[in-house]
Amino acid sequence: MSSFIVPRRTLLLGSAAAAVMPAIAFADSPDIGKPAPLFTAVDSNGKTWSLADLKGKVVVIETTNDGCPYVRKHYSARNMQDQQREAAGQGVVWLTSASSAKGEQGYVTAAQANDLTKSRDAAPAAVLLDPQSKIARAYGATVTPHMYVIDANGTLVYKGGIDSIPSADVADIPKAKQYVRVALREVLAGRQVAEASTRPYGCTLKYPRASS
Amino acid sequence: MKRLFALLLALIAAPAFAQSPSSAVVQTENVRAELLADVSAVKLGEPFWVALRQTIRPKWHTYWKNPGESGLPTEIAWKLPEGAKAGPIVWPRPHLFDIGGIINYGFKDEAVLMVQITPSAKAAGDFKLAAEANWLVCEDVCIPEDAKLALTLPVTATGAPASPATRAIFDKARQQVPMPSPWPAKYGVAKSGDPTVIVEAKGLKADTIRDVYFFPADWGPVASMAKQNAVIGAEGIRIPLRRGDAKAAMPAELMGTLVLTEKAAGGDVQQAFDVAAKLDPAFVPTSSLAAAGGEQLSLVEALLFALLGGLILNLMPCVFPVLAMKAAAFARLAGHERSAMRRDGVAYTLGVLVSFAAMAALVIAIRASVGEVTWGFQFQSPVFSLLIAYLFFVVGLNLSGVFEFSSRFAGIGQGLVARGGTTGAFFTGVLAVIVATPCTVPFMAAAVGFALSQPAPETMAVLLALGLGLALPYLLLAITPALQRLMPRPGPWMDRLRQFLAFPMYASTVWMIWVLTQQTGPDGVIYALGGMILIAFAIWLLRLGSGASAATWMRRGLAAVAVLLAFAAALKLEDGSATAASASGGPAGGVTFDGWERFSRERMNQAVAEGKPVFVDFTAAWCITCLVNERVALETPATRHAFEQAGVVKLKGDWTNRDPEITSLLKELSRAGVPLYLLWVPGAAQPKILPQVLTESLILSELAEIPAKR
Repeated sequence: MSSFIVPRRTLLLGSAAAAVMPAIAFADSPDIGKPAPLFTAVDSNGKTWSLADLKGKVVVIETTNDGCPYVRKHYSARNMQDQQREAAGQGVVWLTSASSAKGEQGYVTAAQANDLTKSRDAAPAAVLLDPQSKIARAYGATVTPHMYVIDANGTLVYKGGIDSIPSADVADIPKAKQYVRVALREVLAGRQVAEASTRPYGCTLKYPRASS
Repeated sequence: MKRLFALLLALIAAPAFAQSPSSAVVQTENVRAELLADVSAVKLGEPFWVALRQTIRPKWHTYWKNPGESGLPTEIAWKLPEGAKAGPIVWPRPHLFDIGGIINYGFKDEAVLMVQITPSAKAAGDFKLAAEANWLVCEDVCIPEDAKLALTLPVTATGAPASPATRAIFDKARQQVPMPSPWPAKYGVAKSGDPTVIVEAKGLKADTIRDVYFFPADWGPVASMAKQNAVIGAEGIRIPLRRGDAKAAMPAELMGTLVLTEKAAGGDVQQAFDVAAKLDPAFVPTSSLAAAGGEQLSLVEALLFALLGGLILNLMPCVFPVLAMKAAAFARLAGHERSAMRRDGVAYTLGVLVSFAAMAALVIAIRASVGEVTWGFQFQSPVFSLLIAYLFFVVGLNLSGVFEFSSRFAGIGQGLVARGGTTGAFFTGVLAVIVATPCTVPFMAAAVGFALSQPAPETMAVLLALGLGLALPYLLLAITPALQRLMPRPGPWMDRLRQFLAFPMYASTVWMIWVLTQQTGPDGVIYALGGMILIAFAIWLLRLGSGASAATWMRRGLAAVAVLLAFAAALKLEDGSATAASASGGPAGGVTFDGWERFSRERMNQAVAEGKPVFVDFTAAWCITCLVNERVALETPATRHAFEQAGVVKLKGDWTNRDPEITSLLKELSRAGVPLYLLWVPGAAQPKILPQVLTESLILSELAEIPAKR
């Protein structure tokens, strides 16, 4: 008699749990195949970008922190710049998000961001200034560089690392599978991204301190 | 400047390395790295251990094999003489770092990463090890660092251990390595995709264990970001987790390291176990709150849940019979004054609330004295089950119309319940609560679990909310005239309904007897059914005739005897179940005595008087530290051999059920509990009390000091 009680109970609790699910302090990273979180941000040239306006285009988001050795790894080897140019050539909108909080490593002013783009010979569509880490938070970014690809319908199709070898060693880049490049190729060919969620690696993203 | 300093240190370190054959040190900006070996000379073919010892700049940390949401583990690439092999890094237990909400797993201050080296059986010259290590070291910012380390060891025919100081470093490091879990583990995946791990450590005490955390061994299956709220219960340690970001199917075995802190007799002890949880497709965890939210329940949420839970409780089979009675009473009241209805509803609600308050008070009191309580605990007592079965049975007979309660019956519980009016309504509420509690166990686990783990006022509030929910539908009906109008008019159907409602009551009786047999075995059926016949007989006797004639008194006397006999069955049950439990050796996974004698003070004193060395191990099935000590220190081949060599009388005291003889001895030694280890060295007037965390080397060195056997 007691055994048949259980399922109904569980069912009821399940629905009750869904109704009163407590809010979580830290956003979960959004799911692959779900609409990518919308955001609006100003870039280093004062232009406003809204993800909603980019419907119809494939979008890449790259979190950055110029002081981070892993970001430096990919810029010093020109891996990041090359992929930015390739993407631009294919009509992909590449957004670099400087999401470090003010006072933290990687925080940049508009002028500093432009200087970095120039000195690194980078070619993103824009460098978004995200000193409150809003974009990073919405996407559950934990590291720099943390990479995201959004398809033309605004669906998140890739999240994770830039490539497959988590190291700070430039020599590993040619050996690694360049996940973002592969994902872009698949998306532009209208195919499903095979490796849609990979392990991100890099420096801990510098979110605003809880006290501030 | 710092870099310059580091460079200088490296320059100083290099010649130091050249002079010292046994260690190599590299100082980077944030880490002092040192290569150590637990031998000073290598014996060919015989494995030995080396370690990369990182002394980390204060407040900085390096990473575990799974670094968490960011970071990278330390890597070591070896260059060894031909034919030699290096094993994988044996990682110490990790710590958790929360960096602005991002969870990392790693080490602070010091990390000793051990690697086993197996030299080939033949080689010429010294054994030269070279290691290229790289690691990421972070505080707020992260810096990748690397070091080239080298170590040259002479090769001798017998080999030689390292210096005591170095061996001590390895001993300490080994203590930090998680041991294989002594308990099996499984995991299931909820419909949401979230996994829950159950480590089947049965019989643990929830109040002595805290800070339970499951460090997943790999990125992917488990999100390291989500908070973990492990629960310790009858099934073991349940750890609801959040699914990670990997898109791959969940692995057949979920690997990880379980770290927990146990409050042992002499202070807190942290333990770590490597767990391989097998995927159990049949185990589909419900999205319990802890899992769904990944956050602690707040008081408001718990109250809301409790209220909702109380409402739903009305649909539960265990409360149903009480509601049947309530419905019968209600039908009787239908058409009465509204004020009577209202009084009835309020009285019922009060009954429910007062009982919940009493239960809460009891829980708080028990928790204060024993420190542990599980919800529905009263149903663990066979006597309680039997009495409830009797109660259901008598109420059923009453509903069937076998007898009517007269005022003479007042004073017994069921009499109160069945009595019309406010008192009756109040006690119906009490009864509802008593029978509803077992239903609340799995269903209200989250809210009740919250209640039991909170300070007294919160416990009280949550349980009262649960009660209010239970009483609410009836209360609403009683105080809302609009709802009452929906009730049918009184008539003969009321009697028929009442008689019909007797059947769910009998069904509940059967269920209670089943519960009873779970506690006592088949014997319980005899006592319960026999008792019921006696009760039925007593009722029949009492219904014969009336007045104060001698015959009536005799019948009353007989009835009383019958009822007493029925209740005597309860005492018999208590006896039986107690012996059954002790005969079967107490809780599952209990204390084993293989190679040990059972402790008694007499045996101990006798052995001491005979001048024998005596080792006493006071342990308990629920004591994790005791278990770990046995595995790592007391039951290793080396210590077993040493015990035997020294002729030690090994006594083990099982304190699982708080054996009074052991309790008194613990008191004499002013110990609050186990583990406790005593070593009587021959000739000593007092036993030596060993520390509560044992190591093999400690036991061996203690035993080595015992004078040789005559």
